Amino acid sequence: MKRFAFFPGCLIPARHPAMEFAIRHTLPRLGIEIVDLEGASCCPDPIYFKSKDKLSWLSVAARNLTLAEDLGLDIFTNCSGCTATLSETYHLLQDEALRARVNERLKRIGRQYRGTSRIRHIATLVRNEAGYDAVRESVTRPLEGLRVAIHYGCHLLKPSRIMQVDDPNNPSVLENLVTALGATPVRHRNWYLCCGKACQTDDIPANMMHDLLSTVNDERADILCMICPTCFGQFDHGQMKVAKRFGEDFHTAPIYYFQLLAFAQGVPYDKLGFERQRFKPECLLRFETAAAGSSPSESRTE
Amino acid sequence: MTEAAGDRGDLVRVNFDFRRELAEKIEGDLASFCYQCGACVGDCPAATYSDEFNPREIMLKVLYGLGEELLVKDSILWQCTNCYNCHERCPQEVKPVEVIISLKNMLADRGIYPDPVAKIIKTFEETGRTTPLNAAVDRQRKRFGLPPMSPVPMDEIRKLIEPQDSAREAAKE
Ligand code: SF4
Ligand code: SF4
Repeated sequence: MKRFAFFPGCLIPARHPAMEFAIRHTLPRLGIEIVDLEGASCCPDPIYFKSKDKLSWLSVAARNLTLAEDLGLDIFTNCSGCTATLSETYHLLQDEALRARVNERLKRIGRQYRGTSRIRHIATLVRNEAGYDAVRESVTRPLEGLRVAIHYGCHLLKPSRIMQVDDPNNPSVLENLVTALGATPVRHRNWYLCCGKACQTDDIPANMMHDLLSTVNDERADILCMICPTCFGQFDHGQMKVAKRFGEDFHTAPIYYFQLLAFAQGVPYDKLGFERQRFKPECLLRFETAAAGSSPSESRTE
Repeated sequence: MTEAAGDRGDLVRVNFDFRRELAEKIEGDLASFCYQCGACVGDCPAATYSDEFNPREIMLKVLYGLGEELLVKDSILWQCTNCYNCHERCPQEVKPVEVIISLKNMLADRGIYPDPVAKIIKTFEETGRTTPLNAAVDRQRKRFGLPPMSPVPMDEIRKLIEPQDSAREAAKE
């Protein structure tokens, strides 16, 4: 087993424990051992707290990284926002002057940032450390015929000079991860758009999401797969607003990739928390082999 | 190129105080390298979906020292979606999004945030998390067999986010 420090962030552990459950279930089956980080805080988020004071933001992020340095482990994230903050911190603190400023602050709490732990987004962790074949081999019920639209979001790929994850103009990691489940990845025309969550107006995200959901719908995708809990919130709760505003109900169920993987590895539908979603991935029920006794989610919420 | 100063006549006076203040922010000085090519605009979702927002024009205002126009309540800066496309596209490595965030740091120094932003920052400063924990969260976690989350040592976080000066003064005492 390869060991990695798990940086869970705020949103997944508090709002989407089913996602955390799926991560803890699936990674060991891919040969990855999860080591918990004691005392981690918010990354801090790259939108709000970073907007207040970049130096404080960097200092708190550097503190989080020192927790993994203490364990001598690389760190992995399950949220694209955490990935952005921690990767950018790693990158910026290669600058000696800035590192000295941040270490001046860390001295206040008896810590020092050394830059010895690298940051991996969980999707690239799986790609690089387990490999697509291991994912394929872990699947007990292949999702044949399932059309999975892909939403990359922003901070898995960009800025590519910092993230160094994939070609931002033509990425493949999520398509390959979906293919490994036996499903069919679908790239829609607006695949490069973002979820718009950071934008502090209503119009921009609403129009953007409407365009994005329309093209997902054009491709007759069954679900929209993503790797970020913020994007997920936008496409679940946010989709209701879009439906109301445009009078078009796409009913596109969003799904976090690791829940889809857990399902393909045989975790029953009703153990994966889908009943808490506004738009439920009920299309998965057709793969549910042992239907005995379980009556998963009945109604879609409008 | 006078559109940013359009209603001020032809004469543009660069406000160096503004530019100095911005340059003190991390990566705030990058706008100086902007040559106004517009490569950051094409893939900018905020520019695509808003008539007001344009990262090249924001960089131009910064170059002219007209940034005070951006430092207002409900500034257009908050229309940026933080997607990093401009960072990706800029041939000059200006990182427009980082300049925009540095400008937001200046907004913060002046105490002007949109309410939802202020609320999330406050939550972080009080709890060390942007999504606070409570009994309902613990119940949900338990349902999925997950342990309670480890507490955030807030004394450490508070010390870290204290501005430089007050810490120095405290050290003197
Ligand atoms: S792409 Fe860069 S150089 Fe060109 S206008 Fe935008 S910020 Fe300026
Ligand atoms: S980060 Fe902001 S300015 Fe840059 S392309 Fe995205 S929305 Fe536009």
